[in-house]
Amino acid sequence: MRERSLLDLDDLTSAEITGILERARRFHDDPPPRNLLRDVCVVNLFFEASTRTFTSFAIAEQRVGADVVALPPGSSSLGKGETIADTAITLAAMGVRVIVTRHPESGFPYRLAESFAGHVINAGDGRHAHPTQALLDLLTLQTEFGKIAGLRVALVGDILHSRVARSNILGLIALGAEVTLVGPHTLLPEAMQRDGVRIARDLDAVLPHIDALMLLRIQRERIAAAVLPSLDDYARNYRLDARRLEALAPGTIVMHPGPYNRGVELTEDVFAFPGWRYAQQVSHGVFVRMAVLDFLVNGAA
Amino acid sequence: MNDLFLRGGRVVDPASGLDALRDVLIRDGRVASIGEHLDPGGADVFDAEGAVVAPGFIDMHVHLREPGQTHKETIATGSAAAVAGGFTAVACMPNTEPALDSPALIAEVLRLARAAGLARVHPIAAITRARAGKELAPYWRLHDAGAVAFSDDGFSVSNPRVLRQAALYARDVPGVFISHCEDGDLKGDAVMNESARSFELGLAGSPGLAEDVGVARDILIGGDTHKPFHIAHLSTAMSAELVRFGRAQGIAVTCEVTPHHLLLADDRFDGFSADAKVNPPLRVANDIAALRAAVRDGTIDAFATDHAPHTREEKAQLLADAPVGFTGLETAVGAYASALPDLPLERFVALLSTNPARILGVPGGTLAIGAAADVTIFAERPWRVDAAAFHSLGKNTPFDGATFARRAIATIVGGAFVMRDGIVAAAVAA
Ligand SMILES: [Zn+2]
Repeated sequence: MRERSLLDLDDLTSAEITGILERARRFHDDPPPRNLLRDVCVVNLFFEASTRTFTSFAIAEQRVGADVVALPPGSSSLGKGETIADTAITLAAMGVRVIVTRHPESGFPYRLAESFAGHVINAGDGRHAHPTQALLDLLTLQTEFGKIAGLRVALVGDILHSRVARSNILGLIALGAEVTLVGPHTLLPEAMQRDGVRIARDLDAVLPHIDALMLLRIQRERIAAAVLPSLDDYARNYRLDARRLEALAPGTIVMHPGPYNRGVELTEDVFAFPGWRYAQQVSHGVFVRMAVLDFLVNGAA
Repeated sequence: MNDLFLRGGRVVDPASGLDALRDVLIRDGRVASIGEHLDPGGADVFDAEGAVVAPGFIDMHVHLREPGQTHKETIATGSAAAVAGGFTAVACMPNTEPALDSPALIAEVLRLARAAGLARVHPIAAITRARAGKELAPYWRLHDAGAVAFSDDGFSVSNPRVLRQAALYARDVPGVFISHCEDGDLKGDAVMNESARSFELGLAGSPGLAEDVGVARDILIGGDTHKPFHIAHLSTAMSAELVRFGRAQGIAVTCEVTPHHLLLADDRFDGFSADAKVNPPLRVANDIAALRAAVRDGTIDAFATDHAPHTREEKAQLLADAPVGFTGLETAVGAYASALPDLPLERFVALLSTNPARILGVPGGTLAIGAAADVTIFAERPWRVDAAAFHSLGKNTPFDGATFARRAIATIVGGAFVMRDGIVAAAVAA
């Protein structure tokens, strides 16, 4: 008997996504009693360093009153391929009901969920998915605009290697936003085109016509891998700076999943921009993760 | 040795152009006569009515894993899988541990194959020592020891100068060069095909281009050196087009296709399972259609399974860690027929028997009077694949649970049944 997991946003109907966002909003406005997950054992199984997501989950788990165990990366041999099933069976036998996991390889949580008799929450797998990040981004949009349907959202940068982008695309399409992906060909292959998604190469042409701009982190390794010539060359077309902020329509918000690289995908000007929503995103992360835990363990309310 | 009498089957022998209902009498391990209403005499009679009697099938691309990886497969278990699947002979790839790059290792493979006593095993030797892509293997000595072809399968010979020198030196040595065409730099750390699917799954993909540039290069090196090249496991539409181009230039090039590249697309990765991880990777519908067309129009010469057994534990690993390939010998007849149900039987037999024998220069591929009696008998009898019941040690196949219409029902090697009604000879004797 498989329990429900959150591996990516296509595990949820659009009504369920909306329900989780509403629940998160409720938790934000009116903190729930700290017993929603009383006596529920949650293990945070992170195979990749992540201060931010790890901390956000830990806080969310405390606020719903779960019993939390963290297995820091490198602390065990768990997660090596031949022991995925063993890991799942062992943790389930100890009474673990929820595993929150991050892994450098795309698909790891799916393989874990196959043999785990409990709920798996994907906290980021390789370049594949990061559903709670997408939910907190959706909550940020919902909070700002009161709706998602019809919003024009552009994602800019390293789409190819971004699990944040992939999950956001699923969520935005499910809720009826108009999605534009922007980046150079090596970071945004034509084949990423799909229904409901537009691909653009010219950020300057996109800027005046959007409600929200989601920046993505650019990794310096892309230069050594011959994917980008230089950060400066990337900046020419895609870095958000004072001039490009000017081009945004009034009311446009700017988001970033963090951690951001100053001077790479954005300049310091962005931090003074009134539509910069980074802090709200981080704050929403805790409530969204509380809502996901409550939704999976206690069901749709 | 008992005489065998195969009664009333449809005898399809492309080498002689025969396609008719005939009796076949096998005596002293050889085809003694083929005709209507022959007298069986005291022979062991096999009722082949409703079945097809064909020259023995030859799988020219299998991995038997011995020496060195006998937890995955042995020459004995691989031979059993071969005859169970209707193959009277296999050609085994040299990516063993150590690689088959010395006469002694070739002799050892042949010794183990004789000891197994089921299928004929034709060893393929490495092109470069240790398959390292740097120094040439001793082609004449390997030929003397029994190697029938040369390949660094698993990899391309990445340095074109090395491959060119190898082909020039080996030009007069009997035995084609078999090319596994994948440009390693373009492939990178890919675990599947590069496509909309790989982008969606966030998995590293290998573009069809990685194969295409390799196929183009090796065909041109074949043309330059006049060494016959055989392109293994075509997986892209462009590869087939490049083979056509090479032939139009008068270059001697042949090629093969696997069952999985004719049947399966890269949507097999949706659960992130490594079951369908294989090199070259499963591609997209357009490639599948083009490869089927290339079989029909004669561009593709041979069916070859790339039988690549691994343990369940190895294949259960995460995608990046799991090895490439899966077993193929015991599903091939059904899978090929399923991919190309309308393919004339004469072509089906030519691709599985006549042509591989010709390309490799090995005996077989014919039911001519006096030829060694290697015979495959197959029929349209729907069956369900049960990988757990395979003779191969490798129980992984993306076809597990599939239903196929065609299957081998008997395999005869040198005039003796090695598989009869699904039972492999060792079990009959036991
Ligand atoms: Zn190969």
